[in-house]
Amino acid sequence: MTETTEPVSPGMARVRAALIGVGVLGLLLGAYVLVTLQSPIAIVGVATWLLGAIILHDAVLSPIVLGVSVLVRRTGRRVSRVVLVIVQGAVVVGAIMTLLVVPEIYAKTKGPNTTVLPFDYALRLGLLWASLAVLTAVVCLLYTRRARRRG
Amino acid sequence: MQHQPVRRLLLNMQRAVAAPTRNPRLAVVLGRLLATAFLLCFATGLYSHFLQQPLPWMRFPTQPTNLYQLTQGIHITAGIACFPLIFGKLYTVFPNLFQTPPVSGLKGLLERASIALFVGASLVEIVIGLLNTYQFYLWPFGFRETHFALSFVIIGSLAIHIGVKLPIIARYWRKGDGYGPELAQTADERELVDAPLIDAVPTPLQGAPGVRQAAGLTGRLFRWIDSTPSLDEPRVAVAPITSVRAENELDEPRIAAASIVSAPVAAEPIDPDMAAAPRTRVRSSLSRRGFLATIAAGVGAVVLLTAGQSFAFLAPLNVFAPREKGIGPQAVPVNRTAMAAQVTDTAIDPNWALSVTHGTFSQRFSRADLLALPQTTVDLPISCVEGWSQMATWSGVRLTSLMALVGAGSTAALTLTSLEKEGGYRVTQMGPEYVGDPNTLVALMLNGETLDIDHGYPARMIAPGRPGVLQTKWLSSLEVV
Repeated sequence: MTETTEPVSPGMARVRAALIGVGVLGLLLGAYVLVTLQSPIAIVGVATWLLGAIILHDAVLSPIVLGVSVLVRRTGRRVSRVVLVIVQGAVVVGAIMTLLVVPEIYAKTKGPNTTVLPFDYALRLGLLWASLAVLTAVVCLLYTRRARRRG
Repeated sequence: MQHQPVRRLLLNMQRAVAAPTRNPRLAVVLGRLLATAFLLCFATGLYSHFLQQPLPWMRFPTQPTNLYQLTQGIHITAGIACFPLIFGKLYTVFPNLFQTPPVSGLKGLLERASIALFVGASLVEIVIGLLNTYQFYLWPFGFRETHFALSFVIIGSLAIHIGVKLPIIARYWRKGDGYGPELAQTADERELVDAPLIDAVPTPLQGAPGVRQAAGLTGRLFRWIDSTPSLDEPRVAVAPITSVRAENELDEPRIAAASIVSAPVAAEPIDPDMAAAPRTRVRSSLSRRGFLATIAAGVGAVVLLTAGQSFAFLAPLNVFAPREKGIGPQAVPVNRTAMAAQVTDTAIDPNWALSVTHGTFSQRFSRADLLALPQTTVDLPISCVEGWSQMATWSGVRLTSLMALVGAGSTAALTLTSLEKEGGYRVTQMGPEYVGDPNTLVALMLNGETLDIDHGYPARMIAPGRPGVLQTKWLSSLEVV
């Protein structure tokens, strides 16, 4: 990959050095705060979570996205491009909402405080997907009709 | 050349995930939005932190009275908006994950390590922040301390990241500067990607059109994919070599020869197949617009469907927030219940009295004594660190009146103690700006009724512009410091 070969002017090099310097100070401060406020066992916990997040992203989420991309690439040739973009958009929005809401569904079963998580989140998530499906279908239908009328 | 399996695999992965939506310009666009959200979270987070743990010289504004409601609402809402933004940002730079060689030299190692730390810390920060608003703790470390420490790691990593990528950011800051190459592989790298996996095809035949491509594993895969007749372009079926890849995808690899050769300077790769170029551009534009619309819709959905917990005007749209305005005893949500604070006995003890101490002078006020003093009614929000807030009407005794009764001036600072058995906020400090504010009450009534035990019966503190955790419930004593 050649993207890091953009030209660097002297002024930019100074700004760059300043930013990296400030950044390193930030990292050191973060590490200092963590070490002073948390026990070694808790720090191991933080490190595990950081590592877990990277593994989850690099080794689980990324391959799934890669696989889906390849499959969509083939499927994508059988349907209109615009329709595909709309459907993909709806699925992504639904997936992000699902990611946010699923922990609520689980957490609601744990806490005794009834003012926390007051809704029936599973039902609402189901309704969200249904609404997304209907909305997507309507938009795609409208687009297809318009595209056909235009010939 | 065939003896570099890892390099070849990585190059293939790069090619497999290259797409019109994965280019430096979109990375810059999303990076700016994400950096803005991070900085908003950082600033409002620091404000919240120092409200709770002020340095000795710090004083805070008490006006507007809903200032903390606003800053913390922004903190939580911007944090939630980070989810679609960070996924979008990671999506635009996906091919970089497969960079090869994976690490080149010390500089390269540091750069990749800093990115890994940045991504890891950001993901952990927003996930624990979100789960904290659900009061759902499943990690083996302190939330507040870790959330605070990681904020510096993130802002530090952000500064480093901006520093490292500065030339690219400057290069693609404006839309007019183009989008940059989706995939910038050198001729050597391309050669490796396209080389046959096994030397089954006799060398003389390898130069013939179509042979090399079909022989490689990725070549076969993409040939299978691209052999599906396209709805949008029935004329093109199986075209050989580069043009097939250049034309036939949504959101997927577009490897134009020009983008390989002249990658660093070409704003928009020029397709060698001139007839196909405008069509490709239209498609890339569609992919980009579709992608940006999806991110916008994602941010819109997560913000609009949850921010009603913090902002009254969005309350009608609150579908997924962990809190709903108006739900709870006396129409006010509760963070810590009387049960959780273990005050269900002590709070209803008829012998309860609020002790107010100033030096050696101390006076005790029963609830009846407090009710007999002049009563004041104010409208103040309860604004929780978890982002939800609720406007309410409070009645009780002005704190300044109580201070006058024990002979303390308006510049006094207080130590507040709660009846609760344990917890980080059992004993807290209140600065003189709050003690002297006429809106600060020892509240006895909430929304016209006797304070509910979950809201701090027999008496609680309510002051303008402070986090909910510092609006001490089940007051036991006030001590001038």
